[in-house]
Amino acid sequence: MPFEEDPAYLSKSRLKSDLVAHNVALPPAASKKEIYVELHLKHIDQRNAADFSSDEEDLVPDVADREEDPDHTEIPDPRTLTDDELKAALLHHGVKAGPIVGTTRAVYEKKLKKLLQPDESGKVNGAEKAVVYSDSEEEEEEEVEEEEQKADGEEEVEESVCTESEKQTAEQTDLAKQESSQAKLPYQNGSFPYLQCFMPSSRLHARPTSNRESKSKWNSRNAVKSSERSRSRCKEIPVGISRASSVDQHSGLGSGPPQEPMKDIIKEIFPETGTTPTGIHATRRRPIKGAAQRPVQYGYPATPVSPATLERREMERRRVPIRIQILVFLIMACILYFIYVNLEDICVVLLDSLNQGFDSEDGYSLQAETEDTQVVSGQD
Amino acid sequence: MSTTSQKHRDFVGEPMGDKPVTALSGIGDTLGRKLEEQGFDKASVVLGQFLLLKKDTDMFSDWLKDASGANSRQADSCAQCLREWCDAFL
Repeated sequence: MPFEEDPAYLSKSRLKSDLVAHNVALPPAASKKEIYVELHLKHIDQRNAADFSSDEEDLVPDVADREEDPDHTEIPDPRTLTDDELKAALLHHGVKAGPIVGTTRAVYEKKLKKLLQPDESGKVNGAEKAVVYSDSEEEEEEEVEEEEQKADGEEEVEESVCTESEKQTAEQTDLAKQESSQAKLPYQNGSFPYLQCFMPSSRLHARPTSNRESKSKWNSRNAVKSSERSRSRCKEIPVGISRASSVDQHSGLGSGPPQEPMKDIIKEIFPETGTTPTGIHATRRRPIKGAAQRPVQYGYPATPVSPATLERREMERRRVPIRIQILVFLIMACILYFIYVNLEDICVVLLDSLNQGFDSEDGYSLQAETEDTQVVSGQD
Repeated sequence: MSTTSQKHRDFVGEPMGDKPVTALSGIGDTLGRKLEEQGFDKASVVLGQFLLLKKDTDMFSDWLKDASGANSRQADSCAQCLREWCDAFL
């Protein structure tokens, strides 16, 4: 590096990446920058320092100890990972994680733990099986039977399936088809890194009947979960599988007949679905778009409008527009003012008209009226 | 197959606005109180958490179970409720 490296001036992410590059175990996530700076100074800058022998002795065992762990287990405890590493680890298992924030971190850590545990046990055994499977068929079938006995055997089988698939797809696919519906690890399926070479368990079933009951229950529970995850990933695979399966059918194994009814039943129940690697078909629920727009049943309006708004609209439709109301008010006010100002004149006019109207009537009432007018005019 | 409750339908039928957490389907008084203690005092905050988890109902269910002690049914119901709300309004 040409420029002078003062770790304190480097950004935290830069420090992290430097530490990782030098195989130094990172401190727990969300540590302060000073800790990173210290580590950086300790491990990296010592190269440039003259007196690093004494420090190195202290450091080496620490670093060595820490380095052993990662080698031994691929990924350490999720809690010690930084956010980025956690995200990368999840991605490695095929889980696209969202932002890792305070509240989401716990969830993702748990998820990673879940993914790690079965993975490790699967991978370790898978390696062994792969070696064994390179031998003849008979040996394989024995192995398969042994495997089937294990409750957790499926992951291994998947592993071995993957490695084996190239060797023996043709013969195994028949057996596979039958059990694929019964035995499936949906969880692993979605996160399995070797999906490309995954054949519907070229071996998942040496025993079509024996483990059916226990596995079918498990499948039904996990079918929905798995289907969503695996569906998208396994779309390309059915093509290869269907080709392989056709080859198998022609090969005509002795165990053909018992598997036929199984296949047919599945086809009957789900006629329109294509083949999937595991034979499990679970329809994905259509998202209810516009739950507010459900037409008849619940009578929701087309646009999301709150009841208050609806009421307001109704009211406004019936009311007289406010401008007209103001206009009427002003007119009335003017009239009243006019009357107030010209009261006497108005009275005179009115009485005159009344006099004319009542000329033929009783003179007494007229007199009373004239007296009134005199009084009124007298007041002025 | 989806028998939604009245609470579910009420929530999904309109913008949530400022509704409290207990307006969510599956969240009653007890769970609502627990969520409020953690800072999720409005339904919109819980929606925020749901969106942070990329609208993944499974992960949200897990989170809700951890955060409030909800059981599977309640958590799934809440997740489904939020998902439908998002489908309609988001």
